[in-house]
Amino acid sequence: MTLTTTLIVSAFLWGIGVYGALSQQSFVMLMMGLEMMINGALLAGAAIWHFSGAGNPEGQLLIIIGMAVMAIEMAVGFAVVINVYRVRQADVTESIEDLKR
Amino acid sequence: MPDVTFINPILSSIAVFVLLGFGAYVAAVINRVLTPAPRGARLAAVLLAPIRQGFLLLKEQLNCTERPDMMLWSVAPAAYATVAACAFTVVPVDSHLAIADVRTGIVLFGAAEALAIVALFLHGWSPNSHLPLIGGYRFVALGLSYELLSMFVLIAAALPAESLQVSQIVSSQAKIWNVVRQPLGLPLWIVVTLGITFTGPLNLADGSDLAAGTAMEISGRHLLLWKIARNIMLTVFCAMGASIFLGGWHGPLLAGWAWILIKTLALMVLVSWIGKRLARLPAERAVLYLWTIGLPISFLHLLQAGIEALV
Amino acid sequence: MNTLWTDIAFWFFSLGAIWFGWRVFRTDSMVRASFALLASFLNAAAVMILLLAEYLGVALFFMMAVEMTVMALFMVGFMMNPAGLNPMMMVHQHALSILFGVVGGAVLAAVAVFGDFPLREMGPAVGQIDQLGTELLGNSMLIFETAGIALLATMLGAIILSSRSNRFDTRSDDGSMPPPLDPNDPDSVPDIEQEEDQAGHSHHHH
Repeated sequence: MTLTTTLIVSAFLWGIGVYGALSQQSFVMLMMGLEMMINGALLAGAAIWHFSGAGNPEGQLLIIIGMAVMAIEMAVGFAVVINVYRVRQADVTESIEDLKR
Repeated sequence: MPDVTFINPILSSIAVFVLLGFGAYVAAVINRVLTPAPRGARLAAVLLAPIRQGFLLLKEQLNCTERPDMMLWSVAPAAYATVAACAFTVVPVDSHLAIADVRTGIVLFGAAEALAIVALFLHGWSPNSHLPLIGGYRFVALGLSYELLSMFVLIAAALPAESLQVSQIVSSQAKIWNVVRQPLGLPLWIVVTLGITFTGPLNLADGSDLAAGTAMEISGRHLLLWKIARNIMLTVFCAMGASIFLGGWHGPLLAGWAWILIKTLALMVLVSWIGKRLARLPAERAVLYLWTIGLPISFLHLLQAGIEALV
Repeated sequence: MNTLWTDIAFWFFSLGAIWFGWRVFRTDSMVRASFALLASFLNAAAVMILLLAEYLGVALFFMMAVEMTVMALFMVGFMMNPAGLNPMMMVHQHALSILFGVVGGAVLAAVAVFGDFPLREMGPAVGQIDQLGTELLGNSMLIFETAGIALLATMLGAIILSSRSNRFDTRSDDGSMPPPLDPNDPDSVPDIEQEEDQAGHSHHHH
């Protein structure tokens, strides 16, 4: 368990999250991709805090703010998904293509 | 602040199994004692009845529905019991001794509750049947309320101890128990216990209006494991309540573990009795009461505990 | 600390997190997808506990359990195949996204391997939660309070965005129509019943 291996693991998690966020048609699966990305970022943050941060509590604070960001993104994201469904009957990204050429 | 103590993992697992198995058995006996019986209950019959019923259930035929999510369905009762066991490891079982007395014991306990909600939702979802699904959804709607209530109660209990470690919280009650200096705590904790173990007035997951809800489609050893898991959760929550409100191992004359046992038993009897006395609340009303009355009371409780700890 | 057990646990949990993360986008059942994401998060939180960020790991257990349950509820509400009874893969720009995922992950992994991070010894693990609490409510009180207000704004925004009653004393579903029965034929919208509201008017949907 070195810094390099932990950062590689978090890079993998982030990569899977990017794949999910870019490829999924459904809104909810897209948000799951976003969550995976933040998961990778939090793990990287914890790794750097442990190995390079000398246990500085501000590192943990950054991760707590990351968790708050995750919660906020999910809450408002789902509210927007509900609203989009009400207005457009759209539950996949293909249905809201108005700005596409 | 003393550092955490860790016991051998294999011994710990065996200890958890034994203690929780005993606790589940005692919970079943209490349930039987408190249930009105037509000709009264003799002691030997009451003590042997849970074991008899257990063996009968083991031999019973397993039920199956059409296209259930078999993996999640089998995992759900085990998951529920496992998170209860994980929560149990932070509870002290003897003077200054818990199986895994981690520094964030309170948060781990709350996390185990949250995962119990997940396990119950899975148990309602997996049989691919509508009444268990309704039971699971009703429980999730309320489970978030219990989670919030229990969070505030646990944080308030941690305030006088200035630590998230459960053994520290018990140590801080050496002079006066938390049930006395934080009077709203134990009633709220009993509400949370009734909710998470879905007994009595808050039995919305397995209520008889849903024909036993999430437990409707299960039988045989699956049902046995589900019942045991419920009793284990009751034991764990009552043990935690005894530790953070009733002073844990503190008490004259007897050893620490004896007092913990007595207090846990008292809380189990109390919770089971309340569960049998009160009628089941309808789901909407339960949510209404918990969010409009229960949450403000827990805020007040936290405020009072904070002021009391500062002064 | 026994380093061998730490390494074994680290690899077990890391590989578990990655495998469950992959399963999220491969499984047909949507409920399994949400809980596979939960499992991935739990494994990542276990790695954080191994990294001695104890409070963060346990708080992640807590938060992710509830978040993923909510996500499962939304899955069941919004996706057509929540139980995975039929095979389903709804993807667009699949090759491009795989490329992005792989390249992005590789770039970050290259930063991890070739980057020059200073290695500092971490202090004793005892008293860390005290330090975190003192930091949160001491030096970084402004950040903490701002996060609190942001969460409050989120709660209000989410309720306002998704509430059923609209601003102008109408229902937010007004004028909304169900999707057509035949996806290629926009006129095959099913008739819905006329709804009476309190004033006795009925909204006529075409």
